[in-house]
Amino acid sequence: MGATVGSALGRAGPRARRSLRVLPAVELATLAVLVAVPFILSERAELITLMTNVVILSLLAISFDLCWGFSGIMSFGQALFFGVAGYLVALVGRDLGFSQLWGTLPLAMLAGGVLAAALAVFLLLGRRAPTSIFVAFGTLTGAYAAERLVAGWQYVGAGNGLSAIKLMAFGSYEFVEGVEFYSVALTALLLVYAASRWLVRSQLGLVLAGMRQNEERLAFFGYRVQVFKALVFSFAGMIAGLSGALYSYHQGFTGPSNLGPGLSTTAVIYCLFGGSGTLIGPVLGTAAIELLSYVLADTDAIRQFWPVILGIVLLVVVMFQPTGLLGLVVSARERIGSFGVRRRAR
Amino acid sequence: MDFAIKFAFDILAFTSVMVLIVLGLGVIASMMGIFNFAHGELVLLGAYTVYLSDEHGLGAWPGVIAAPVVVGLVGFVLERTIIKRFYATPIIAMLGTYAIGLIIREIVRGLLGGHYKSIPEPISGAFSVGGLDFSIWRSFIIATTLVVIAGSWLLLARTSIGLRVRGALENPMLARACGISTGRLYAFTFAFGAALAGLAGALIVPLYQLSADIGIRFLVQAFLSVMLGGVGTFEGPVLGASAVGAMASGLPWVVLPVLADPLVFVIALAFVRLRPQGFIAAGRV
Repeated sequence: MGATVGSALGRAGPRARRSLRVLPAVELATLAVLVAVPFILSERAELITLMTNVVILSLLAISFDLCWGFSGIMSFGQALFFGVAGYLVALVGRDLGFSQLWGTLPLAMLAGGVLAAALAVFLLLGRRAPTSIFVAFGTLTGAYAAERLVAGWQYVGAGNGLSAIKLMAFGSYEFVEGVEFYSVALTALLLVYAASRWLVRSQLGLVLAGMRQNEERLAFFGYRVQVFKALVFSFAGMIAGLSGALYSYHQGFTGPSNLGPGLSTTAVIYCLFGGSGTLIGPVLGTAAIELLSYVLADTDAIRQFWPVILGIVLLVVVMFQPTGLLGLVVSARERIGSFGVRRRAR
Repeated sequence: MDFAIKFAFDILAFTSVMVLIVLGLGVIASMMGIFNFAHGELVLLGAYTVYLSDEHGLGAWPGVIAAPVVVGLVGFVLERTIIKRFYATPIIAMLGTYAIGLIIREIVRGLLGGHYKSIPEPISGAFSVGGLDFSIWRSFIIATTLVVIAGSWLLLARTSIGLRVRGALENPMLARACGISTGRLYAFTFAFGAALAGLAGALIVPLYQLSADIGIRFLVQAFLSVMLGGVGTFEGPVLGASAVGAMASGLPWVVLPVLADPLVFVIALAFVRLRPQGFIAAGRV
């Protein structure tokens, strides 16, 4: 990132503000499209299903972005929280017969958050600060171990996973695939987006931006950077949990691969492709990749090698365009963002 | 007693494979500071080479001999084209190598058609010592590993190439200033590490079924070994590999097999967390 945090703080006056216009425009356009989807596509059920998937997976991508783009934790374990929450709502539906969304979705978020917090305490906190490689590798190992464990555990369906998950309900109304489910998912996305946007623009977000610039220096200032990382990681875990619960309900199925490094990597690709370090980037990346996958899936030759294409996309983005799609239109200065209460110019 | 010896032999064979994989990973990690997330897939490529040669009626032997060469060349090309861009940014390197691994894995999966393939041991049968049967192929693995360890050690400690490698490891800037081409040295080291992975893949494929996913398991275990042993040393990764290999093959006898793998990871991670420098502190080769 070219500009420093210092210059982001020193922002004042209308001229500086005028240059900060691209991201809000992109955000508004995306919002408009997402809200318009049910009205435009109400005839095409399969496209509504696709868009619901996009919205749900966007949540997962955002949760990864909070870790990597905002606090510098390379997490290969977002699918762990996603998958555990997915299994949890499936089990609550199966064994307790309960699937009211006002109960299960917060429960899923709680599970994701607690699990992420536990992992963060283990990996991040402690007398010695761990290396970032160790943290990245720890999350990968967690996801891999969980996938292996679940794949061999009969109670949760072992390798076959859990199918015919009890439908998500509100009162006596049950949500099946379609416009209603899409609305629930979109509401969740909007809430999460608003909360994340507030978080990364708060004073805490400013600390995170400082950490991205120079973690050591911030530590010398007296910030306990690992604690901040752990907080954001836990918050991201909650979002991943919400995403996982919605995904399970929507698919009516959950399996070991929803826990593993494979899905975690997919979240990484969504986020980096769209543009990490901005919140709208992961949403756009998810939409772009899922839509592309939908269009290309009809051709057999391409479908077989779709994962290869994803790998090439990741490699190309990492090598040549680290700021992703959004980096093409958004300046480095704007990516850093602005923080705290907006004060009047001196 | 007989059982104990058999058991120790099996653990030794598995550990040998781990040592081969880990040696390559560890050399690359200490030398360039890059954790190669595609290492598991280089093992897979080695295994796939053997499968190809077996499939084309040549038998497994040409494959076993070709695997280190083929994978070493692949490693060399990867280093020259992609990896060398990542030296300044180790975390991005992780993503980049992960992407490479993903590409290799999925191509192999496409070529295998999602099936599991098994390949017969190139030398089957067993020999007996004191009334106990030992598999010849496993003994061959152990012997090869010992030769490779000895060879690598001699190369590093007794030759002028090794001296340059150690110099570049200790202080890359100074090494460059002395006229050592660190770029070429890095390419050579990466190719060497890849070749070791290829050899390991070729040796293990008769013991495991060949599938696209064997790489990731070895990757996770090899990483733990390198961290357990300590980056920047020669003995460290070898010791770490022995510890992880022994745990991974020993624990299934003690606890439920399903729990064994995750348990190995948890134990190793916890150890690394408490002692980040590993068994042996860095600073010498």
